[in-house]
Amino acid sequence: MTTAQIRQRTAVLDADIHPAIPAARLASLLAEPWRTRYQTIGTRVAPPPAFYPRVRNGGMRLDAYPANGIPGSDLKLLRDQVLDAYGIGYGVLIPLQSHTFGAEQPEYAQALCHALNEAIRQDFLDPEPRLVSSLCVPHESPELAVAEIERYAGDPRFVQVLFPGGAQASLGHQKYLPIYRAAAAAGLPVAVHTGGAEHHRADGWPSFYLEHHCWFGNVMALAATSLVCEGVFEQVPDLQVVLVEGGISWAAPLMWSMDAGWSRLRQDVPMLRRAPSEYFREHIWFSTQPIEEPADPKHLAMALAQTGMADRVLFATDYPHWDFDSPDTALRALPKDLRERIMSENAYRLYHLERP
Amino acid sequence: MRIVVAKVSEFAPGERRIVQVGGRSIGVFRVGERFYALNNHCPHQGGPLCLGRTAPTATSTGPGEFGVGDDLFLACPWHGWEYDITTGQSYLGPGEKPVRGYGVAVTGGENLTTEADLRFPDRIPGPYVAETFDVHVEEDYVVVDTTTRQPAK
Amino acid sequence: MTEIAGKITDTDVHCAPASIETLFPFLDGYWRSYVTDANLKLSPTFGGAYPPGAPTSAKPEARAAGTFPPDNVEALRKQLFDTAGPSRAILNCTTSFDVSRNPYYETALTRAVNDWLRTEWLDRDDRLRASMVVPTTDVDAAVAEIERLGPDRRFVQVLLPVRGQDVRFGNKRFHPLLAAAARHDLVVGLHAWGKVASSPSPTGFLHTYLEDYLSNTQIVQAHVVSLIVEGVFIRFPALKICLAECGFSWLPSLLWRLDKEWRAVWREVPWLKEPPETYLYRHFRATTEPAHLPPGDEQLSQLLEMMRIPEFVMYASDYPHDHGDAAGRLLAALGEEDRARVLSGNAADFYR
Repeated sequence: MTTAQIRQRTAVLDADIHPAIPAARLASLLAEPWRTRYQTIGTRVAPPPAFYPRVRNGGMRLDAYPANGIPGSDLKLLRDQVLDAYGIGYGVLIPLQSHTFGAEQPEYAQALCHALNEAIRQDFLDPEPRLVSSLCVPHESPELAVAEIERYAGDPRFVQVLFPGGAQASLGHQKYLPIYRAAAAAGLPVAVHTGGAEHHRADGWPSFYLEHHCWFGNVMALAATSLVCEGVFEQVPDLQVVLVEGGISWAAPLMWSMDAGWSRLRQDVPMLRRAPSEYFREHIWFSTQPIEEPADPKHLAMALAQTGMADRVLFATDYPHWDFDSPDTALRALPKDLRERIMSENAYRLYHLERP
Repeated sequence: MRIVVAKVSEFAPGERRIVQVGGRSIGVFRVGERFYALNNHCPHQGGPLCLGRTAPTATSTGPGEFGVGDDLFLACPWHGWEYDITTGQSYLGPGEKPVRGYGVAVTGGENLTTEADLRFPDRIPGPYVAETFDVHVEEDYVVVDTTTRQPAK
Repeated sequence: MTEIAGKITDTDVHCAPASIETLFPFLDGYWRSYVTDANLKLSPTFGGAYPPGAPTSAKPEARAAGTFPPDNVEALRKQLFDTAGPSRAILNCTTSFDVSRNPYYETALTRAVNDWLRTEWLDRDDRLRASMVVPTTDVDAAVAEIERLGPDRRFVQVLLPVRGQDVRFGNKRFHPLLAAAARHDLVVGLHAWGKVASSPSPTGFLHTYLEDYLSNTQIVQAHVVSLIVEGVFIRFPALKICLAECGFSWLPSLLWRLDKEWRAVWREVPWLKEPPETYLYRHFRATTEPAHLPPGDEQLSQLLEMMRIPEFVMYASDYPHDHGDAAGRLLAALGEEDRARVLSGNAADFYR
């Protein structure tokens, strides 16, 4: 937008906005010895942009770079370009820095995630009532992650617990159960977002950002398979999981394959009492972005209908990233009633938010 | 509506200006001695098209071979859809020859691009055409005329 | 292959040597001693891929026969050809998929498997064709093996395991292998499973066989994307890829994502001259098993609308493996002409 347009606040909810906390701000919120460590050594776990150069404006909308600083760090610009520009009712923040911070040495990971949560609270949530946030946790150190969940349990503005698609183990691994249990106990969904530590032990390393980006849907399919097949939803029946930034069209074929495999291999997974697709439909939510654009637009609605999960899909922009989906146009291929559920109704039900 | 953008002497080759005409934002580009104007609105998802980078085509004869062409495209600052500044025609990746109608289903068959609009036979024409406007120089001023627009598709 | 009217071509039939000693006539003295010294046995589960007790590992008739997959041609004749079987079958032997990381041993073992296939199978039944196996840890040796066996027209495919490669098959390091296959008009078959040292998921080992089994359908997608975007079909326009035992109903979703992202970041791979979908349908085919289909006729017809199944899919029994009856349901949903293409026409056009 060349001149800021201000639209009246609507009920549209954006399930994926990425704030960025500048290093100096983060350091100011770290206690010693972690501040010194952060300033002298930095961090050890590499985020994907470190090795897949994002050949589209550095991974950002070109118009989302503030005059000073990094995209996502400027609340005014975020208001201008998302909240005011589209009349967003609520935006859910997803701070990606914790995806790799959460895999650092346990106490350091905890300190970094806590500093992120404080920065989000002070710099975004306190001044802007339209924003809510995901809670950053040291996900590879489940006990400390649980402590962070309990610490913020009284602040309703933290609406979900954040987990990376790229964790050190599959998401159904029992080591993560304490996190899932704590989230469910606090009434919070767990949001799994693409990113984190990148592994390619099964599929082999890709050469290009194009391949890395195209793999997002597969990351989500693998996460859902692991959670369902390892019985996590039997163990934590109240757990709800939001798969963010993987699109939606992979979901139906995944359910077909899980059910087909399970019908032959039930004895291998005695903890599953029902077909995998039933767990999937009752526990999984997903966000639309990056929305698939089939050559025949009606195939998108068809793929969504095949999931039978139109009441569990959330609209997301992914601001300030280049693959931003516009609230005005991204879902234009879908019928109007479906669009309205995805743009607002579903998310208010999931996050227990009051419509503005 | 006719809007004066700038003095020609103050609008150097390679520069661009964004002007507001009523409720509409228009990007005016100077390429060499010629001026072009496009609606600052990408027909794909509504991005501010005229804030995007301009770049020539990347060329290649095969894997690992990289070069750049001598043409110039405007890339939307969001999703990178690329447009011919002079006609507003969108182009996808490079192509051996025009693959007519590729992706046309997105906008419906009536928007088929005519052969004359396709200035780049080595690129694949996309389904969108950005709105363009007449720009001309009157006395020493650059003027955009929105009454002679070519509508977006 | 020439098409035989009204007959079926089975593009994925498994066989395996009964023991490593079966391969001794095809291994030289050093490697026989290596095998003995390491007390190497062939994995009874094929490196975890086909646990004998898993219902998916054997159809009832194969289980009744006692040894599966068949370890000799007579057994295969009885179990497959004699019971309203195909007129032609492509043998896939995955015995060498789970070998060690020693590239020289992998070379010796794959060569032995190929010589065993030639002597014990291809020489004994002219309805048989075979895939050759090649070492993936030594591309030069793989090229040499393709050059050695390429002139034998009974080998129609080079078989590669999808799991556990350090890089994907479109990567530059595999180009000489792909070039050699294309030069001999051999299809490159990407088959489910692979190296056991690498986990079936990107992030590590899993706790259920069901997840391992399903992982092949995700891993293969990585190789499909890689082969397209690395430009191998520009360098080797004759190259053909068969996706075996990895499913196919994931294709529409993958193509929609890849096409959209290619439009945005095509400058990273400027050699692609056509949209990804064009390369996919021109250069790839998939086998029918396992067919992961939607429930209900309406959704099945939607899937048929979303992807070009009649030209993309080739019939395979995947004998002795048993993925259920979904492939039969798919065939029944096709018109007569399309069914004939899937049962034999596509394979006849695809394989030399």
